[in-house]
Amino acid sequence: MLSAALAPDEKSLVAGCMDGVYHLQFDPNEDRKLYSHSSYVSSTAWLKNNQVISTGYDGKIKFFDFETEKTKQESQLHSFWSWDMCVSPDEKLLASVTGQYLAGGYKYEPKPETEPSIKVLSAESGEVLHSLPHVPSVQAVAFSPDNQFVAAGNLMGEVRVFDVNSGKLVSSWTTPDFTSWGIIKSHCYLGGIFAMTFTPDGKELLLAGMGKMRDPMAGNGRQLWQKWKWQDSKPSKTNEIHKEDSGEGLMETLAIHPSGKFFTMAGRLRGGDWNIALFELQSGKKITSLNTKCRVTQACYNADGSQLILVGAQGQPKTKKDGEFPRFGRVEIYNLKIIA
Amino acid sequence: MAAGAASAASFNGLFSVPAIAEETKKQGKKCILLWLCGAPSQFETWDPKPGTYTGGPFGAINTNLPGVQVSQLMPQCATIMDKLAVIRSMSTSPSEHFQGIDVLTRGDKPRPPFTRPILGSVVAQQLGQLDSPVPQFILLDPCPEGNEFKGFKAGNWAGWLGAEYGPVRAGGDYAIPNIERAESISELDHQDREALRSFLSKKFENDRKSEAAAKHNAAFNRVNGLMSCAPLFDLNTLPIADRERYGGGAFSQHALQARHLIENGSTFVMVANGMPWDNHVYQHEMHQMLVPELDNVLFQLISDLEQRGMLDDTLVIAMGEFGRSPWLNEARGRDHYPTAWSMAMAGAGIQGGVVHGATDELGVKVTEDAVDNRQLFATIFSALGIDPHEEYDLPGLPTFSRVEEGTQPIKELLKNA
Repeated sequence: MLSAALAPDEKSLVAGCMDGVYHLQFDPNEDRKLYSHSSYVSSTAWLKNNQVISTGYDGKIKFFDFETEKTKQESQLHSFWSWDMCVSPDEKLLASVTGQYLAGGYKYEPKPETEPSIKVLSAESGEVLHSLPHVPSVQAVAFSPDNQFVAAGNLMGEVRVFDVNSGKLVSSWTTPDFTSWGIIKSHCYLGGIFAMTFTPDGKELLLAGMGKMRDPMAGNGRQLWQKWKWQDSKPSKTNEIHKEDSGEGLMETLAIHPSGKFFTMAGRLRGGDWNIALFELQSGKKITSLNTKCRVTQACYNADGSQLILVGAQGQPKTKKDGEFPRFGRVEIYNLKIIA
Repeated sequence: MAAGAASAASFNGLFSVPAIAEETKKQGKKCILLWLCGAPSQFETWDPKPGTYTGGPFGAINTNLPGVQVSQLMPQCATIMDKLAVIRSMSTSPSEHFQGIDVLTRGDKPRPPFTRPILGSVVAQQLGQLDSPVPQFILLDPCPEGNEFKGFKAGNWAGWLGAEYGPVRAGGDYAIPNIERAESISELDHQDREALRSFLSKKFENDRKSEAAAKHNAAFNRVNGLMSCAPLFDLNTLPIADRERYGGGAFSQHALQARHLIENGSTFVMVANGMPWDNHVYQHEMHQMLVPELDNVLFQLISDLEQRGMLDDTLVIAMGEFGRSPWLNEARGRDHYPTAWSMAMAGAGIQGGVVHGATDELGVKVTEDAVDNRQLFATIFSALGIDPHEEYDLPGLPTFSRVEEGTQPIKELLKNA
């Protein structure tokens, strides 16, 4: 499982998996495959009008009507993967990001894009409203709470924020802390920004990924989030995970609690004792953490913040059981009690 | 650039008669080994399994060989499959890097106290020109580290053949410094000094029967050669159009340099870039960059060699030390997998347009014509015109063969078999 989106009634979710889009009902616990992409499904969304939207490593976007169970529309958004897709809070816009990292220089500096790295679409018609530039690979995208801006982050830690009405670039900066240039095994770049979300007031951007590694193949960079004030003429980092709080591993998802006071960061544990942790949004203090013993690819809260839903994956099973390979996607739902 | 051009002219001046220079370049067979250290995934290169449980996110594309597909990440190689021989049924033993590198570069597992020379050393000894100023075995690898490959590089590459058949290393941080004659010394003065040094040290070597002095002299001769062919190691002397065509990364640039070195008298060039293929994490994120680079390098290299009339005499090999696991681990990586993997060759005595062997639907097992390291090396040696079964009786060592137990080459892969 690479992604998930809660149903409007919160009784089920759709999951983007390696082999298609699945519907998972919570009670009773049942699931079924809705449809497929021709490659992995990287992102899913479930709108209030019961439209399920997915993007995949086939570069396609698909609009699926959950009530009629029919694919209404699909189009080839990118010639390479859609790394990430998101929906604006008012559900009027979608954004998808792409980009193949190809060697552009002797030290494997990324080659410039050959197609627009960011596409902003109408969620209703699927029409592409803006095709925006960035440097591949662009791996994370987010809309601002007021629906006015879209931000995208890439392999090299460069963040670009665009006005979604005009398509103009309004802010950009680079944080080098998420990107590794391999010294030990490989001379190339790895890592980058894997998740991003605006804070509820829209003034700051939270970024997540993994800190620098001498050997990127080890996956042992520190679990890392940073918070950036993006509207200043020179964007500045206002906070980041406290050194004593982070273990090692790639962090792939961020979710802000509906109260606006907390956020969750989750991913894979490589070293340390947690792969999901809850932080105070203002201070960055780690409140609690746990080890799910599997990679978490997406975390989200239900509307009232009483539940945290995690999806992810374990390693692929090697042997068949009852004639089929056992499933290795994982969903965990936690009931939350916030004690003041 | 101007200095480079002047140096290039100086290199060509090594040969007093242009025709001899040309003949020197044409003599014998050569080999370029694209050493894909760390072990590439066969699923994302030569043996795709699209839409299966183990296939990964990339699709497969048709090639110019009917019924044969390769990964969608290799569109250029898909157009020259008639020139390539691909083995999809490599099945070897070592599952760790050091041991895998050892076996797949030497051809066999260790047999102490005998140290089997690495492929490049054998080729340099068998096919190289000892009196050539151009090093006969060159390793182009800019990465000073490399984990197990670093450890391997520190070892004895030439084995029993002796240090003179070891590689000269260049590339990136190994830009062969200080091999230009100091301006304060004239060419005549330099030659006089070298003649005196050579006389005295040779006398010492003969009088004392000193192996150390012999190696010292061999090293001096090598440095002398390097001084005269320094421009060959300068990427900046290569045409910009060629450099752009090969692509920006160090591996691509050094593959072009390998072609240039082979054209100018070297016999074996091994191109590596650390061990970037060891993708226990970020498998697909890394292979989406590495495989297109390999695809372009192979295409450009083979096309260039063919256009220059050199492909019939130059063997190009692209392989790592094993393959990668059908199953993804929890970090979305593929792990080591020697059981069933792929490699490719072209040129020299290798028959193009051949896909040898096969794996099952999920790429877990070899189902046809498993090939081990001995069969592979017997085939490589045969393609280069080197007797794979030559026997050696070295003092104090058991008799051994270049390829042990009379292992036969794969006839299907040899042009004249």
